[in-house]
Amino acid sequence: MTLLLLLLLPLAAGLVLPLLSPSRPGLVRGLAAATALAQLAVGLLACGRQPPADLSLSWLPQLGLSLDLGLDGLSLPLVLLTALITAMAVLASPADQGRPRLYFALILATNLGVVGAFLARNALLFVLAFELVLIPTTLLVAIWGGERRAGAAVRFLLFGAVSGLSLLGGVLAFGWFGQGAAGADTAVSFSFEALAATPLPASAQRWVLALLVLGFGIKLPVVPLHGWQPISYAEAPPPVVMLLGGVVSKLGAYGLLRFGVGLLPEAWSAFSPEIAAAGAVSAVYGALNAVAATDIRRLMAYSSLGHMGLLVLALAAATPMSLQGAMAQVLAHGLIVALLFDCVGLIQRKTGTTVIAELSGLMNPIRGLPFTMGLMLLALMAAAGIPGLAGFPAELLVFEGSWTVFPRATLICLVASGFTAVYAVRLFNRVGFGRLDNNRADWQSTRLAERLPAVVLTTLVVLAGIWPAGLTAWSEASTAAIALCHSDRVVQQLALAPSPSSLSLPA
Amino acid sequence: MTTTTPAAGTKTPLIPPSTHRYAEVIHRLEAGGSMLPDTPENLQQIIGIYKAYAVPMDFYWRDLLYIAEQVFLNPLPAFKYFISQEYLDRPCSYSGDQSQLRIWRGGEKAHPELIEFMERGETRRMPKLLHHLWHDRVNMEFAEACMQAMLWHQGMGGRFNDYLASDAYKANADRAIKAYFKGNPLMLGLYKLFPDMVLEQVKQLSYYSNLGLFWEVMAPVFFEMSDLYDEGKLTSVPQAMDFLVNGIFAVAGRPIYHHVFIRGECFEIIPKSEGFTWLYEAALPYVEAVFYRTSPFRGTKSYNAQAGQVPANQADFHYGILYADVFPVGSAGIPPTLLMQDMLHFLPPYLQEMYKTHRRGEEDQLIQLGITFQRSMYNVTSAVIQALRCALLYPLDDSDPEHLTANRQFFEAQMDRFLRPEARLPDIQTQDYR
Repeated sequence: MTLLLLLLLPLAAGLVLPLLSPSRPGLVRGLAAATALAQLAVGLLACGRQPPADLSLSWLPQLGLSLDLGLDGLSLPLVLLTALITAMAVLASPADQGRPRLYFALILATNLGVVGAFLARNALLFVLAFELVLIPTTLLVAIWGGERRAGAAVRFLLFGAVSGLSLLGGVLAFGWFGQGAAGADTAVSFSFEALAATPLPASAQRWVLALLVLGFGIKLPVVPLHGWQPISYAEAPPPVVMLLGGVVSKLGAYGLLRFGVGLLPEAWSAFSPEIAAAGAVSAVYGALNAVAATDIRRLMAYSSLGHMGLLVLALAAATPMSLQGAMAQVLAHGLIVALLFDCVGLIQRKTGTTVIAELSGLMNPIRGLPFTMGLMLLALMAAAGIPGLAGFPAELLVFEGSWTVFPRATLICLVASGFTAVYAVRLFNRVGFGRLDNNRADWQSTRLAERLPAVVLTTLVVLAGIWPAGLTAWSEASTAAIALCHSDRVVQQLALAPSPSSLSLPA
Repeated sequence: MTTTTPAAGTKTPLIPPSTHRYAEVIHRLEAGGSMLPDTPENLQQIIGIYKAYAVPMDFYWRDLLYIAEQVFLNPLPAFKYFISQEYLDRPCSYSGDQSQLRIWRGGEKAHPELIEFMERGETRRMPKLLHHLWHDRVNMEFAEACMQAMLWHQGMGGRFNDYLASDAYKANADRAIKAYFKGNPLMLGLYKLFPDMVLEQVKQLSYYSNLGLFWEVMAPVFFEMSDLYDEGKLTSVPQAMDFLVNGIFAVAGRPIYHHVFIRGECFEIIPKSEGFTWLYEAALPYVEAVFYRTSPFRGTKSYNAQAGQVPANQADFHYGILYADVFPVGSAGIPPTLLMQDMLHFLPPYLQEMYKTHRRGEEDQLIQLGITFQRSMYNVTSAVIQALRCALLYPLDDSDPEHLTANRQFFEAQMDRFLRPEARLPDIQTQDYR
């Protein structure tokens, strides 16, 4: 019931929202936020259960599609992250949001798709949920985006479609090549257990993995599959980018971990040098583009791309420690990127622009946006891996875990990560300091309600920094188990991995 | 009374219009106006801020003189801002029944609003030391920053600075130093070893006295302007400027001196007999040092001297209120913030109401009043420019084109100082600058 509740809450609210009176936008917004918070509460309740919930309902057995839902160490933290960031995105949306019923319903639909994907224990169900996400997110970009929203939405849709199709192809091929080739009498099952139990021929594994990497690599994104990301992040409303960067992109990471590392270990091992190289290239490409960016939103987009590179490196290495780092990075980055875009959204709402050349003096104590800028600085410091903030334990685990397998790529990523400080300082020097333009500075300071999402996210970023177990303990056992499947070499490292804590869940 | 207003009826200009970038302002000055446009709001703003400035200024001048005359060379002057009752009650020389030269109507002792604030502060009635430590007090640091600007720039006309290097001054200072440290072999030994170091401190204290005597004039002037406005007798910006010009001429010849009182005995370090006068030795150097030059304030912006961001010549410094970027006001501890905080305590209600209706309302009053202060100081500077023109050049209603051309050149030379991009003269021409 818990699992169903996690899905039914956004589904029901998403259906009710359009029926509410258009004259009560506050109620619409409040209901959307309450739904996400209720989902978060349900998710937290599931934390305490041992063993975590599982649910299996028959749906379309002829197609091998069943409603297999489950929570484990990989999916639970991501479900919580999704619920949290959905709530924050709703609260970060302006009180006078245009067409609120549709807007918040689409946000909840996105939430439904993402949570559905994380809960899915069936690959086809995962694909369905994955595809579902594309529709509301495209509409959110297309309807509420900036001046170039049409182009952004088309590109987002095209890349998303390719991603979905390649994923569908990969999953179907996985089932058909595996169980079909084995001559199973019954219908093909796409449940994770069935897929894991069905060995694929090595060549088939590689083709399937190539399709999956294409699908998830676009969603993540990773260079050279990132074409949709900078323009989408720059044009979509900031609360929507909080969802895209903080949650939706994590579907890609989760998929690579669950399908690539978990289900196709041999092919993953074979491709891992190339995947690690792509991660390193992404890290450098993202960092350098962020340094050269002339718009804060594009800067954040490229920063996010760079940090996804670290994630890909950790996944490629697939040691227990690197996978733990990957999961920590997923959570930390989710919080950080949501905080960053929340702050960027406030800046845009107040100043009317995010063009770096048009902004200066925002750290001004009275006339500027010192609170917002302060939190943005903190988020950038967290992204740079400053100790005491969420990025530090995540990046430390990524680098330590990946070093033994891909030392050169790790070194490159390490240097690229250092560039975060470069563009953060550059951004602050131009936007935070200098003379505040009197003609532009005619705005009111941020109100408590506007600050709330940033305060909540900041608290969690700091909390995760000083209590890293909050990031790692969820998935310690799960990632160790996956890593063990993958390579003998990492078995030795497991002995060095931190011991499971009270938060850890069964694999 | 001196007036800067030209005779009515001058229809045909005797000289062609100015082609200066600030031609409009120059023509206004030639017509007896101020650099600040004559609008009812400008008048309200500047008079309101003069009142808010006058109250802390009443403390500044008293404490500056207290430090120069009583604290003197105390090596640990921890209580220099704890002004004695004697200095709070010290009769102002220019207002009150006991004044030496009563020109303005105000009282002679410290202003009642100042006394009330010193007792209660922003917080509540508590011991003076707690008010001091909580920084709930008048920020004398601002006054000292102004004094230091005058000391540091030095040589801005007049003879005062030269006198500080004279033998007569050194002899007077030496007597006072030895008397002050009498019975203190440590400090006397230090003086013996480093006489210039102690002498430099005395020079600084002479500037304390100089600035104290300057503000002793300005405080009652500003109080009276506020009263006249409240009574409906000041109705335009040029009138406000003329009042200042008349005030300047009324006290131009008043003495600037430095006396020190040590164990009841008065030591005349700069005697009145030296003939230093208020206009040339205090007012003009003050305007030059504080309104125009000062120095980059720490904490607001980084300046790279090696990149030429700080002028090599002190005379080219342009960090005074006429050029100041008021927006960083609010940064802790910088002199402009300290002054704005002081004035904030004494804002008249009509200014508070005005600020509530613009920008961030009460949240950014500090900046709004800073910009008002900037406007008001452009008006004071206008008064000084007009006073100088009166003293050195020709009347505005002169019928000789050569004389008018000389006036024009003088005004244009003054406006040249605002050609640099940092100058706020263009900003104050509109009410949008807040």
